[in-house]
Amino acid sequence: MKKIELFEPAMCCSTGVCGPSVNQDLLTITSAFEAMQGVTNVEANRYNLSNNPDVFSGRPEILSAIKDDADSVLPITVVDDEIVKTGTYPTIDELSEYTGLVFVPAEQKNSCCGGSGCC
Amino acid sequence: MQTYQPQSTKLTHYLFFTGKGGVGKTTTASATAINLADSGKRVMLASTDPASNLQDVFDTELTNKPKDIANVPGLFVANFDPVTAAAEYRESVIGPYRGILPETAINNMAEQLSGSCTVEIASFNEFANFLTDSEVDQKFDYIIFDTAPTGHALRMLQLPSAWNNYLDENDRGASCLGQLAGMDDKKAMYEKAVVTLNDPELTTLMLVTRPQKASLLEADRAAQELAAIGIKNQQLIINGTLKDPTDLPSQTIFRQQQNDLAQMPASLKELAQFEVPLRPYNVTGLDKLRLVLQSEQPKLTPQPSIKNDYPNLDVIVNDLVKSNKKIIFTMGKGGVGKTTVAVQIAKKLVAQHKTVHLATTDPADHLNLFKTDDPDITVSHIDEQQVLKDYQDEVLASAQKTMKSDDVDYIAEDLRSPCTQEIAVFRAFANIVAQDDSDVVVIDTAPTGHTLLLLDSTQSYAQEVQRTSGEVPQAIIDLLPRLQDPSQTEIVMVTLPETTPVYESMRLNDDLDRAQMAHTWWLVNQSMLATNTTNPCLQARAQNEVEWIEKVKELSNNHFAVEQWQPDFEKVLLTI
Repeated sequence: MKKIELFEPAMCCSTGVCGPSVNQDLLTITSAFEAMQGVTNVEANRYNLSNNPDVFSGRPEILSAIKDDADSVLPITVVDDEIVKTGTYPTIDELSEYTGLVFVPAEQKNSCCGGSGCC
Repeated sequence: MQTYQPQSTKLTHYLFFTGKGGVGKTTTASATAINLADSGKRVMLASTDPASNLQDVFDTELTNKPKDIANVPGLFVANFDPVTAAAEYRESVIGPYRGILPETAINNMAEQLSGSCTVEIASFNEFANFLTDSEVDQKFDYIIFDTAPTGHALRMLQLPSAWNNYLDENDRGASCLGQLAGMDDKKAMYEKAVVTLNDPELTTLMLVTRPQKASLLEADRAAQELAAIGIKNQQLIINGTLKDPTDLPSQTIFRQQQNDLAQMPASLKELAQFEVPLRPYNVTGLDKLRLVLQSEQPKLTPQPSIKNDYPNLDVIVNDLVKSNKKIIFTMGKGGVGKTTVAVQIAKKLVAQHKTVHLATTDPADHLNLFKTDDPDITVSHIDEQQVLKDYQDEVLASAQKTMKSDDVDYIAEDLRSPCTQEIAVFRAFANIVAQDDSDVVVIDTAPTGHTLLLLDSTQSYAQEVQRTSGEVPQAIIDLLPRLQDPSQTEIVMVTLPETTPVYESMRLNDDLDRAQMAHTWWLVNQSMLATNTTNPCLQARAQNEVEWIEKVKELSNNHFAVEQWQPDFEKVLLTI
């Protein structure tokens, strides 16, 4: 069982569409974490400061990491209780590395093959 | 038509006074509240307008907690100020973690919880909470809401069903309300709010209007949109009907009022209708509020007329041209004539060989009342539905490039959150300010309260932009610096020669100073003084103007102008 956790800055919604700009990284992360919800041997969770301050406060390693500068340290990626990345979101390749999962490229909605994988 | 008298009108437990800016919502709501309290009822009066004037009406400091009014036993009054509600909400989230989370994390939370979305949610929750509070319900015989002008009041009254429906369909992830899982309490509250608003035995919508086309049309729009979501118990109060015309100006007003009333939209004609006659005095202070709804009124004595030789709008426009301004706003209380002044400024700029883009940020869009075929003027407004759809389409198009359809649905879900509307409107505002197709952009704003919230979010987004990693449109990056640059921008403050509009402009003046927004000029609009009327009622009103015009002259350091009252101003001023 792999456990991957993402500690994110305060935000309004998980996709970031409610901020002043749309962040492509966040869309990718939302998609990847959503995909991991269906995987049995991986536990993937996201916590953000405004919605889940309780989780932050119960994790000494996170508290100490954000002590001096939360803005530049968040988001923090934690794999099996160990901080593996800070400051930016993990890429898809890194997520594969952490979890052993392979993320297949997204299928285009309304493309020739639809969602069936016929191509 | 029957004169409005709270005692002899069928009133429900909850009363919402709504209508276009300046129609007298606060006056009729306050007079109703005082009248009922004087008759021995226990009455709660709450304003949901961010630019509430109840503190002026009752001459006392107000907060979001009910305050009893010394000289009106049984009456309690509160101002639901969105900024205070947001601050309290922010503290309720952050407070428990002070000293537990590091200060940098606390700051990060505080910053995120300062956005326009939080402000809207917090004030809406405060409203929904109050509306469904059983203690409040039992303590008072009548609970009266004095709402913001139509555009924003509609949104507030529609939000309970909007969030209720959203929570019905979505239960995962985060939202501006907090984690969506575990929202059962909130959902129950919104459901109860919807049931209360839609129960004709409990709630009446008091549509206040002037006997004048624009405000009748707006009352009709509010009536229909709110009936569509189930708020069907509605009454119409026509405020300021002129009686006994005696000279040309008063006959002109009388005819215009009677014509506009005769052409009232058919669906409004079906509602119970009441009128409040035009009074020769400003309805301020408890004595006047007690008097305004009485059938016996004091006798008037004729007054000598006063000469009016104040500068007019040309003085302001000449200065705008001379200093080569690019962005011009008209701001002020609802009903002071921001739209007509914006149109006048646009016309006068074109006469001085400028091309002009004329836009409005007011969801009530009064600019739609006029059409132009002048190639030097282009017109637009922020269509809330359209900008929301544009924003949703833009985000989804970007998402579809990299995500598979299940995940696109997840984004689509976030985009359906009522929060997204705020972002979409804000982006549209930034785009209007950034336009460079015309020499000058003239922006007619929503009534003060919501314009200030828009400027507030401009400031909080400017901070958020500093730390965002996403791609921020250039229009948003440039927005605040532009608005703060006096060589590009001028905010013309429009007011009326009356107590309340001048007080509201004084507060606006302070707020603009604090936000470091560029503003110099004041315009006193719709002055009766210049018409030289001899009608006793109008003459008495004209006499009252002098004090307020002189006040503006002093406040503006002589950067002011006075425009005279125009009969049938929609036809005369809005046509180009």
